[in-house]
Amino acid sequence: MKKDLEKVRNIGISAHIDSGKTTLTERVLYYTQKIHAIHEVRGKDGVGATMDSMELEKERGITIQSAATYCTWKDYDINIIDTPGHVDFTIEVERALRVLDGAVLILCSVGGVQSQSITVNRQMSRYKVPRVVFINKCDRTGANPKRVTAQVREKLGLNAVPMQLPIGLESELKGVVDLVTMKAVYFEGDNGEKIREEAIPAEMQAEADAARETLLDAVSMFSDELMEAVLEGSPSEEMIREAVRKGTLSMEFVPVLIGSAYKNKGVQSLLDAVNAYLPAPSEIKNTAFDLDKGEEEVILESNPNKPLVCLAFKLEDGRYGQLTYIRTYQGTMKKGDTIVNTRTGKKAKVGRLVRMHSNEMEDIESAGPGDIVALFGIDCASGDTFTSPDVNMSMSSMHVPAPVISLSISPVDNKAQGNMSKALNRFTKEDPTFRTFVDHETSETIISGMGELHLEVYIERMKREYGAEVSVGAPQVAYRETITQRADFNYTHKKQTGGSGQFARVAGFIEPLEEGNYEFVDSIVGGVIPREFIPSCDKGFAASLEKGALAGFPVTGIRCTINDGAAHSVDSSDIAFQLAARGGFKDGYLRANPVLLEPIMKVAVEGPSEFQGSVMGSINQRRGMIIGTFEEGEYTVVEAEVPLAEMFGYSTVLRSLTQGKAEFTMEFAAYRQVPRNVAEGVIAAARKAAQEKK
Amino acid sequence: MLKNDLIAKNPMGAFSRDAEGNEVARMGLVIARPGLGKTAILVQIALDSILRGKQVVHVSVGQNIEKTKAWYDDILGDISAQAKHDEMEELKLSVRRNRMIMTFNASTFSRPKLEERLNDMIYQDIFRPCCMVIDGLDLARVERRMLEDMRDLQREANMSIWCSGVIEREAQAAVIASQTLPAPCDALGDLFDTVIMLHPESGDESKIFLNVLKDATNRMAPGKSLRLDPTTMVVWGATA
Ligand SMILES: Nc1nc2c(ncn2[C@@H]2O[C@H](COP(=O)(O)OP(=O)(O)O)[C@@H](O)[C@H]2O)c(=O)[nH]1
Ligand SMILES: [Mg+2]
Repeated sequence: MKKDLEKVRNIGISAHIDSGKTTLTERVLYYTQKIHAIHEVRGKDGVGATMDSMELEKERGITIQSAATYCTWKDYDINIIDTPGHVDFTIEVERALRVLDGAVLILCSVGGVQSQSITVNRQMSRYKVPRVVFINKCDRTGANPKRVTAQVREKLGLNAVPMQLPIGLESELKGVVDLVTMKAVYFEGDNGEKIREEAIPAEMQAEADAARETLLDAVSMFSDELMEAVLEGSPSEEMIREAVRKGTLSMEFVPVLIGSAYKNKGVQSLLDAVNAYLPAPSEIKNTAFDLDKGEEEVILESNPNKPLVCLAFKLEDGRYGQLTYIRTYQGTMKKGDTIVNTRTGKKAKVGRLVRMHSNEMEDIESAGPGDIVALFGIDCASGDTFTSPDVNMSMSSMHVPAPVISLSISPVDNKAQGNMSKALNRFTKEDPTFRTFVDHETSETIISGMGELHLEVYIERMKREYGAEVSVGAPQVAYRETITQRADFNYTHKKQTGGSGQFARVAGFIEPLEEGNYEFVDSIVGGVIPREFIPSCDKGFAASLEKGALAGFPVTGIRCTINDGAAHSVDSSDIAFQLAARGGFKDGYLRANPVLLEPIMKVAVEGPSEFQGSVMGSINQRRGMIIGTFEEGEYTVVEAEVPLAEMFGYSTVLRSLTQGKAEFTMEFAAYRQVPRNVAEGVIAAARKAAQEKK
Repeated sequence: MLKNDLIAKNPMGAFSRDAEGNEVARMGLVIARPGLGKTAILVQIALDSILRGKQVVHVSVGQNIEKTKAWYDDILGDISAQAKHDEMEELKLSVRRNRMIMTFNASTFSRPKLEERLNDMIYQDIFRPCCMVIDGLDLARVERRMLEDMRDLQREANMSIWCSGVIEREAQAAVIASQTLPAPCDALGDLFDTVIMLHPESGDESKIFLNVLKDATNRMAPGKSLRLDPTTMVVWGATA
């Protein structure tokens, strides 16, 4: 099958809760002939919409995982990637935004631009995702697409211009006037599947002419050809579409479409707009890091004959075993090919290759640039890159942010125990920012991640999807320790118990490391420590990093150098040198002026300007540092850096400070030294807790 | 020490303190044709205060927070390229601590907007600036009332406020010759204690001069000219 790459669209649909994302997706899948009955969201038939597979998602009204669904519209292949709307899962949002090439931003014609749309829009701008706006629910009382368009311009700062006018509004909504074709379009039949085009109703002609002029004014700057044609009074539909497309792709223009998903109006026109205005995969610049060239950035080409580079962006436990969703950026992947996981270096054979329709799987032979497919039986984690064996490239930087918060969980019974480990195993594969380990001293299972909500969601998923009920400890900030000056050490480990003894002497120094967690330097000359014991020293130091002597937190940013030592021909051993290194580390550590580090979050609080003062006050009270304030449409955003330790319960505080009108987002920024007076308290508490555990 | 060294090199230090080192508050204006370094001079003014442990509000009309932060980072990086990692980190931290950026969209910037955003902060005592710089004002369109308000605030809070304004390329020569403000700024001249202009040497764009057109506080004689380093805007010859 030869496919036209220009006719592929990988899109996301994004919306504030309840704007109709699920309903619209359902309609899209219906019109593209893949589902045979329309299920209303939370409808009476209890079947529920196709895309929202996760119970939890429905209950919380947020989409946590991204699924991809394939459909076709007028011989274009469209992959709909479900985009997570919540900001706590930065990695997932990032991943989803990489996979899609364009997006539909849904807004409610009554609610207009709401907080979540602002956040999502900002992320899309950051990742340069071209978008079209769909103003949904035009059948609702109070519908006002004109006002919403104005809000998109004001609050989102987008150059949004209507491509259509509503014919009737609220319960009178009948159809739309298409400002490109200058025709009235009606959607008829039980499910709006019959499209009837007619002349514009006479009473709307003047309004339509004016709106068309606005549209032409706005887009003719993207095309000289159109500009001339407009002056001559004869722009063709093709010219207009071409100009709209250019403006959309360069993100200088956003077409606005309208309709009602629920009443089956305007959905097909939206699909036409997706085909006409959103980019094909080849029109988007994608890059990867070439690991053979020191992570140099390389541009990937949508060329089926170049080496394969693709990204595993989602894992799913399906009825049929583990599925891995993959997007191909460059090259071709065929059944039977050998591919390599860049992160692990492991090779795998491409077995079954399928395309996921909303309710069925289609077996395919190969996937080329821009394709989104699923593989069976591939062992990997979300975010892994696969390539053909001849290149060594990674789609994402190998850098994963360290978790900033942790809590202990324990299963309530035996059944939960087994399920919990199954769940944890899965989650850590899916999400590199979610980690888990067992605290050796307390035998507790600890989970850690990027925020309170991040962990909460996984705990709920454990319960719902895996039947693992757990009790949960209080969230703990992931403090760290580091040193601030150099200190020498010289330590002899000696033990004589009966038969063979243990002997090792290690000397050197520890010092702060500007970048990275840990470095080991071997400056031994003359073999005073035999070669085979050098790695033992390294191991000993590395083990010491687990718990710092200041307050028992992990130690980072340290370089350990050994430059002297001694060994004994009989009594020296691997373990003796490990212990000597640990002793040396401990010896030097407290003299190297250790300090406590804490995670600092970048916090953005967004709300009406009148609350700016109280918001800034609340940040000041939390040891926060205000970076600045800026405007986002009618709202003022306060940007600040605040220690995570001070952010617990902030949503409640903010709500009461601002009558619920402000919202905040936060993401990890950096680790910074805890001020001395605060550190004293933290250290005392940590020591006390350690005492109690014993 | 790095900090003291930077304070000494700062061309704007002469305006902020008198001979005894006491703070001198003023309403100031920096004019220049586009692209000559008005923002850099405002950043230098801000740094002069920040490095002495005082707080500064940086108002930017038309540039976002990221861009504004980048100005500081670039200039700091340039003027202290030889500094040690630790010292540099400490310097950056003190800049972050003592600087607050406030950005506005150019198209919707207005007097009530500025007032609303400033009031909360200053009158609720959340931030106590001793200096405010306002970058990106359109002097041809700015309301006189806004500047009058700024001047009232400046007197009341005994802080310094420095604005920047663009003049047309063609007006430059006439200003140098006459040492008076060009239109449309001339109508606003009375609101400022100090007006300085940046200009290159004619025929040599790499030589930038700071020219004092007016100084009612008598710290600098009108007509005085100071050569600056074109990338960092520190006093020429001060950087190694
Ligand atoms: N009146 C009206 N209601 C709609 C429309 N689209 C969706 N809804 C309703 O709005 C609610 C939320 O829709 P849903 O698709 O779940 O929104 P989501 O949270 O964005 O996925 C449901 O009750 C839908 O039936 C529409 O075009 N008009
Ligand atoms: Mg939904």
